[in-house]
Amino acid sequence: MPSPFPLSPQLFVGCITVLVMIHVILGIIPFLIYLERKISAYIQDRIGPNRVGFDLGLPLLKTLTRGFGFWGLGQSLADGLKFILKEDYRPFGADKWLFTLAPACAVVPAFVGWAIIPWGGHVSVPEINLFGANLVSAGTALVAVADINIGFVFLLAVAAVGVYGVTLGGWASNNKYSFLGGLRCSAGMISYEIPMGLSILAVLLVTGTVRPSLIVEQQISSPLSGTGGWLFLAQPLACLLFYTCILAEANRAPFDNAEAEQELVGGYHTEYSAMRFALFFLAEYAHMMTSSAFCVVLFFGGYHVPGLWLTYPEETGLLAVLVKVAVLVTKVLLSVCFMMVIRWTIPRIRYDQVLKLCWQSLIPASITLVVATSIMVYQGWTATWQLFVMNVLVGGAMIALFPLLPKADVNKRLPMAGSRFNPLPGEPVITGPVGGIARADDPIGGLAGSAFAPSR
Amino acid sequence: MSNAGRNTMTIQEQDIVRLARPEMNRFEAVYIPEIVKGFGITMRHFFTSFGQSKLPILGRSKTTRTMQYPEDRRENRDVLDQGMQKSNFRGVHRLNRDSAGRVKCVACMMCPTICPANCIHIVAAESPWEDREKYPAKFEIDELRCIFCGMCEEACPVDAIELTTEYDVVGLSRQEMVFDKEKLLNVFDVTINKKPM
Repeated sequence: MPSPFPLSPQLFVGCITVLVMIHVILGIIPFLIYLERKISAYIQDRIGPNRVGFDLGLPLLKTLTRGFGFWGLGQSLADGLKFILKEDYRPFGADKWLFTLAPACAVVPAFVGWAIIPWGGHVSVPEINLFGANLVSAGTALVAVADINIGFVFLLAVAAVGVYGVTLGGWASNNKYSFLGGLRCSAGMISYEIPMGLSILAVLLVTGTVRPSLIVEQQISSPLSGTGGWLFLAQPLACLLFYTCILAEANRAPFDNAEAEQELVGGYHTEYSAMRFALFFLAEYAHMMTSSAFCVVLFFGGYHVPGLWLTYPEETGLLAVLVKVAVLVTKVLLSVCFMMVIRWTIPRIRYDQVLKLCWQSLIPASITLVVATSIMVYQGWTATWQLFVMNVLVGGAMIALFPLLPKADVNKRLPMAGSRFNPLPGEPVITGPVGGIARADDPIGGLAGSAFAPSR
Repeated sequence: MSNAGRNTMTIQEQDIVRLARPEMNRFEAVYIPEIVKGFGITMRHFFTSFGQSKLPILGRSKTTRTMQYPEDRRENRDVLDQGMQKSNFRGVHRLNRDSAGRVKCVACMMCPTICPANCIHIVAAESPWEDREKYPAKFEIDELRCIFCGMCEEACPVDAIELTTEYDVVGLSRQEMVFDKEKLLNVFDVTINKKPM
């Protein structure tokens, strides 16, 4: 059996990336929850959490952490502690194994997707010798867990598995509302996978590769050559479609029908409590971050900032890698914040409208875009400005043609006998209250003369 | 009344304003420009209510109406600025004392009779004083049952029971929240300076 040593640089860097990034992400998510509550509060003219510090109510810690928790930063920590201490309740008749498995099914795919995100471009690894043995051979490696050449296909496949957690959780709860939430989620996922895949296809036709590191480097190549530039400049329409779809995939407002509080109590996690619920919560935010990273790598240049020399792929030093990671994480966080702002800007839409939006608007739009892009690529017109003009023309044509298309005939109001709002044709409508209101001369209110009138 | 013959309380046909849902024009039907407009509104609120923390440099926001309760209290504010209207605020009860320091109540049972929550319990006894026949040997108000409607105050013929401006009354047990005569008289001693009889 051959010795595993020396390790390849990619394996070495991949292991370090896993160890570092999983902790960074798990550490960021509680503060994302805090951030979401704070942003929501400010948008709604409230204040948000501003009380909880890191003292957890203990006098000793209060002395030690004086001054921290100034803005309620300890809120997420306190919430997490509460989740651990709460009763882990499983309803009668719930499927024991699936009920426990479902939260994990939701969390794991969201994290596995991180494996292919090129965090910091390439790094040059020196030869590492330990105790006289050659541990790691010298070379360059990508700061990602794996530099696989079907990167985005892998990410699409893994991210879509996340819906199993939600659906299984809804089914295992033995609750009709949960089940409806789970079903809605799976129907939404199936629908929104299509425009998402098609909008990615429109981009991949231009890049000609699905390897994430190459796509980032293509976006960085000099804009003077006409082909570089972040891909949202070349394909703004695809970017818009893609962002809409990742909102739906991450079950974010305005597409959060799987946990619609108004209709389904809590949706798929109605019956969940304690850490199992916390895992669903974690999965939602991890999913937001995965989708945002996907979007940033695909459309917003990954770790690249124009003009900042450290973020160009030629730089492979340790400092450059750290700067690149910081840039990518910042971009991801900005995208997540944008999702939070969207949540409070666009009212959530009814479930049939969610699917209607997908099947009647997004899918035709993305198909049109893919067809137009393939014509452009076939003709060799792949400069950034040419693609941008194509996007504008396609978008304008869709807006111009939209009113000419036949209207959908679903969800029309049906006239009903006796309805105040939609009576049958020719039916008289009684608009006032039938009973009437009590007056001094008619204390019962409209009952005088009727069979219910009190006998004097 | 001018419309005496008519049942003025019911909704008449001429009172109803029928609104048609406005049709979206083509610009609005695209959604995207309207959504961008919506972002403007959202971000305006975000930035105007930003700086609501206790950081003094950021100042008070123009839009946020939240009051930081334990530090900032309603009774310290002006009535027009979310303050408390102290003259008719209905907080915890007190039993007033007369000029001799005795309980003013004459145990006439008006307040337990009118009380819609049945939270007042009085045991009357023969008065030890010359000027009245009865006095309350026991006087208990269950502050957890009370709905603070103020009808006891209205019913009292001798102005013995009154509602004060105190509202942050807490206890560790239900029994603790049943205020007896001594406690209610004590509330009077504490609040007489804030709210004169």
